[in-house]
Amino acid sequence: MGKSMKMDLGFDEFLAAPEYAIIVVTYPDIFQTEAKLLHGKFSEEYQDLSAVIVLDSEDLEKIGVKYGDLVKISSEHGSVVATVKESEKEHPGIGYMPEGAWSNVLGLGPVSAKVSKSGQSVPAIDELRMSYSN
Amino acid sequence: MVCTGCALLCDDIEENDCVKHACRIGRAHITSMQETSPMVAQEIVGMDAAINSAADILADAENPIFVGFGNCITETQETGITLAEKIGAGIQTFHTEIFDDILDGAVKTCTLPEVRDYADVVVFWGTDPMNTHPRLLSKYAYYPRGEKRQRGWEEDRTAITIDIRESYTASICRDTHMIPPHGHADFMSALMDALRNKVPKTAYDKKRILKLAGVLKKAEFGVIFAGADLIRSVPRDMLIRLMEQLNSVSDFRILPLVPGYNLRSIATQLHGRLDRGDGGDGSGSSVDLQDSDCILCLGFDLMNSLPADRINGKTIVIDPNETLQSRYADVVIPCAAGGVDCAGTAVRMDGINVELPQSRESERISDQEIMRRLLEVV
Repeated sequence: MGKSMKMDLGFDEFLAAPEYAIIVVTYPDIFQTEAKLLHGKFSEEYQDLSAVIVLDSEDLEKIGVKYGDLVKISSEHGSVVATVKESEKEHPGIGYMPEGAWSNVLGLGPVSAKVSKSGQSVPAIDELRMSYSN
Repeated sequence: MVCTGCALLCDDIEENDCVKHACRIGRAHITSMQETSPMVAQEIVGMDAAINSAADILADAENPIFVGFGNCITETQETGITLAEKIGAGIQTFHTEIFDDILDGAVKTCTLPEVRDYADVVVFWGTDPMNTHPRLLSKYAYYPRGEKRQRGWEEDRTAITIDIRESYTASICRDTHMIPPHGHADFMSALMDALRNKVPKTAYDKKRILKLAGVLKKAEFGVIFAGADLIRSVPRDMLIRLMEQLNSVSDFRILPLVPGYNLRSIATQLHGRLDRGDGGDGSGSSVDLQDSDCILCLGFDLMNSLPADRINGKTIVIDPNETLQSRYADVVIPCAAGGVDCAGTAVRMDGINVELPQSRESERISDQEIMRRLLEVV
């Protein structure tokens, strides 16, 4: 866990953004379910509560990100960009994502993934089909 | 009215100017006014055209499969099974195998009022009902006074969580066991050792597992609420062995907490049939989704529930709401929401039949009527 490795993201600013290994675990979120029912799956409200990863403070420091920053999470299955939230609990090496289309891109959880700081934007739900590896 | 927001099917909901007694999910479900239009090839069409187009696709399909069935009324499920039989389609449901074990009598179960009245030890394993079945704890499992549990959660009940994350439910339980991702089977194996009075060979805290086994052994009426995460993570026979082990030293029941308000009904209707599949985590089924040339999604958003790269073939969506799948579907047929826009029946998670009255005026046609018309046309 936490072993870093350089990769080329293809743009200058994040050229040297290191990747860290984590396991992504998905979870149900009542507020996300409510947003889905009230505003729909294509709403901003639903996206804001779905394209999220909750990380341990130790991991945030390693990755070099803080609350509200964007990270790219990649697994064998695909890659997705999500907004960072800091966890109130300690769980180094484990990231939590709400169940749904964004976390599905990584495969059915729990999945091994790499996480790094990202300069890309969060994809809309109907853009996620492009996020799969194959 | 009865809320069809989850499988608790709460029947104490009042809806006049506002919705009373419903949880956050229930209120959103009942008041949701999402509207979609019938579509063919992503173009808006009339309802008849959409149904006829769906019928054409089904008639031409060589390997059709129907998926979902957990979020529609029992009557729709019955008509859907008849349609599937007529065209030779497979039916894939999710997380229903545990209901087979309950219906076979392989594991003991009970009703929710029995949980309220008698349960002294409740275990939430791989589930976070505060986020999925929000009124479970207040109506049945933890807080209420029951016939033999007059002192409720304060003294009469012990709640335990076993999960791969510290959930909201865990935060209110007296005993919480955090296990690593993929750790359910190892933990269960260690617990079974402890129940046999053996010191478990495990990396977990042996003392805590022995203490947990001691609490479970002393239960007068224990209940395990098994979540989807547990069900898909351990071999089916392992869960049965755990229940046998528990019942050799104590008295334990199991109740599944899985998505879909009417999943128990479809599980009951398909019980014992060999031509159905249970996706579990979506990977196993009698008909592989990737091999299917036509997938009919009935109250189930396939792309929002499974990785989208497993989906090939043409898709037909029958759903009250706009789904991610509907953005890519060949045919979209909007329908009435059961218990809201149309009446029907459903089976609560504990096997109790519940009448679902229609709670608001609606011009939407029910999914049963759509399936019936497909049955006529195909």
